[in-house]
Amino acid sequence: MPTSAYDIVVVGSGPAGQKAAIQGAKAGKKVVLIEQEPGIGGNCVYRGTIPSKTLRETALQFERLKRSNEVFEGRLRLDLPMTVLLHRLDEVVKAHECYMAGQLTRNGVTYRHGRARLLSPHEVQLETVDGACQTLTADTIILATGSRPSSIPGIPVDHEHVLDSDSILSMIYLPRSLTILGGGVIACEYASTFALLGVEVTIIDRGKRPLPFMDQDIVDVFQRSIERQGGRFYSGQTVTEVAWDGVSSVVARLANGMAVKSEKMLVALGRQPNVEELNLEAAGLSLDDKGHIPVNDYGQTAVPHIFAAGDMLGRPPALASQAMEDGRRAVSHALGLPVGDSVIQVPIGIYTIPEIASIGLDEEQAAARYRGPIIGRAPFTEIAKGQITGACDGLLKLVADPSGERLLGVQIVGEHATELIHLGQMALQDGANIDRFIDTIFGFPTFAEAYRVAALDILGQRRKRQEQPKAA
Amino acid sequence: MSGELPQTTPPVPTDPLEQLLIERIRKGAIELPLLPQVASRILAMVYDPDAEAAKLAALIHQDQALAAHVIRIANSPAYMTRNPVVSLQHAVSMLGMNLMSELAFSASIKGSAFKVPGWDDEVKGLWHYSLASGAYAKEIARMRRFNVESAYLCGLLHGIGRPVVLQTLVALSKEQGTTLSKESLHQLLDGYYIQVGLLVADEWGLPPPVVESIGFHVDYHYAKTAKQECMTTCLAGRMAKHFLDPDTMDEATLREHAVFADLNLYPKDIDALLAHKDKVQAVVEAMPL
Repeated sequence: MPTSAYDIVVVGSGPAGQKAAIQGAKAGKKVVLIEQEPGIGGNCVYRGTIPSKTLRETALQFERLKRSNEVFEGRLRLDLPMTVLLHRLDEVVKAHECYMAGQLTRNGVTYRHGRARLLSPHEVQLETVDGACQTLTADTIILATGSRPSSIPGIPVDHEHVLDSDSILSMIYLPRSLTILGGGVIACEYASTFALLGVEVTIIDRGKRPLPFMDQDIVDVFQRSIERQGGRFYSGQTVTEVAWDGVSSVVARLANGMAVKSEKMLVALGRQPNVEELNLEAAGLSLDDKGHIPVNDYGQTAVPHIFAAGDMLGRPPALASQAMEDGRRAVSHALGLPVGDSVIQVPIGIYTIPEIASIGLDEEQAAARYRGPIIGRAPFTEIAKGQITGACDGLLKLVADPSGERLLGVQIVGEHATELIHLGQMALQDGANIDRFIDTIFGFPTFAEAYRVAALDILGQRRKRQEQPKAA
Repeated sequence: MSGELPQTTPPVPTDPLEQLLIERIRKGAIELPLLPQVASRILAMVYDPDAEAAKLAALIHQDQALAAHVIRIANSPAYMTRNPVVSLQHAVSMLGMNLMSELAFSASIKGSAFKVPGWDDEVKGLWHYSLASGAYAKEIARMRRFNVESAYLCGLLHGIGRPVVLQTLVALSKEQGTTLSKESLHQLLDGYYIQVGLLVADEWGLPPPVVESIGFHVDYHYAKTAKQECMTTCLAGRMAKHFLDPDTMDEATLREHAVFADLNLYPKDIDALLAHKDKVQAVVEAMPL
């Protein structure tokens, strides 16, 4: 078995692996990136972020067309095949592949297509698709193999009637009805996309509300928006059985005795790390109780030169941006380069319709740390741009300390939330105070104006507090 | 057809029977089997988002022989229903609509396309090959997260030209008063089943992915809109051959083909696919000619 020596071996070419490889190469190291699929990019590109966002974009275009129909008196066919709905996917994926491959080539990263397996703390076996094997040695190993939908006992995912997020987009036609099990990011993103496409969506989740890690007000706006599209939420419910009703529907039986029928089902009950093929024991690694590789803040495992990054770490929400940062940090730490503290400033972006985004502390977290934080609100109904575009389903919240001066966090639901959040991110990173938003002249009409509206709301509350007679 | 195969000059056939066959194909004078009305409507249902189980049951009911056949299949070990299926309605309710569509469609075309008196063994072989290909196509699609229903139809029908070529050759040899040797028969089947299959596809109005799988399951690199289906069908066909005749297609030969790499299936994945042998066996046994 031939052997090749590298400074860094990166396993997995998703967002975490790519950024780790490029960071290593930029530092002048000899880097190899191993990917088991034929294309670069991991699940993010082929089954996750890119395809789902492409479908989401189509759904939004449909929505706009439906609104225009009232003007043109046209009729839209809503029984279109999925291939039509995803007509741009191939070109989007190709473009993505092309620029990623270019980036790797430019930086001198060696790319190998095959499956990786640890043979020892410094050796990785590469098996190509034809079964040929080669050993690679490395000073540093970065594991970034991502995750896959969790297998849940009693829920038979057959990829035909009961699907998961890897197979949901293989449907030939949009189903008329879809039950979604789960209340996390993937469940909510697909729920809002399919609801907008006219599918009757039902979300069943054990939690009291979807997206439990997000601000309550923000989630409420999102939930109301889906319900307006005809979607239904069954929160706080446990599914006891999933089966065919025997005719043409999947039936979910709930612990409360209720049965929910639909044409198809999407199971989105979490993800599990891709670790089985890695042969971790050979390198002296083991998993924790939850099946994840224990790491420190830099992604360093119990074996100091082996790092884990991205979705395989199992930290919800699984975000591509977080994974990229994981990869970058892991390699920087391994090479003794400055790491920075940007990990605390990774914005959460959820591509529901309307979008949801968050940075820093939300209201609940701020209340737990500070006595009486001040919250500024800007409903999009009060923003001219919201009225003009018909995107009034929105809310921007600024979270300030009890003095109403220091910005602690920003939460947004609404159109362009995932873009708008960066303004808040920059302000937080620069230590800007609330008055900065008031003194800034925003373009009109823009959604960004919501920052000023929310800041003025805080200013009003701050004045009221200052006017209150101090207790003797 | 979406793709274009590179143009090659075909060798001039020396066999008079082959010359006649080419002539018939060129003139469109091949007697194509009619797609039974029931099968045609079932096929429409498979690709119809508004299809309903009740409609399917009613449709199968129109053909009593087909209904009985479907119930018998539904009771076979392949589908492992918990209780004996006693009625068509019950069969639909036990197996679900997509599987019932598959069963009914397969049973329905069997009677029209797979009938060549005096050549029972060959026809049986072709039928088993179609069923096994359909069953393997489903498992490959499941593994690669492609659409499972579409894969089955592509697998089942990609060789639909073979029984038609067989029927034509038998008729031609009768007309000419010649004897059709098995060796030359198989050469001619291999040589012309795709062309004739495409004629059948056109006649039957088969869905685009199925048409492309018929045309490009061998040269799947030329497929334009349904490359995944074509690759899946190519592999399903090879696995079916290995399953039905491991002496002709041994495991080593099966594993050599580039389609595994093109579908990104590693040796372990191939092991997993080969482990579905019993499932495929049950499907084949469930639907005898």
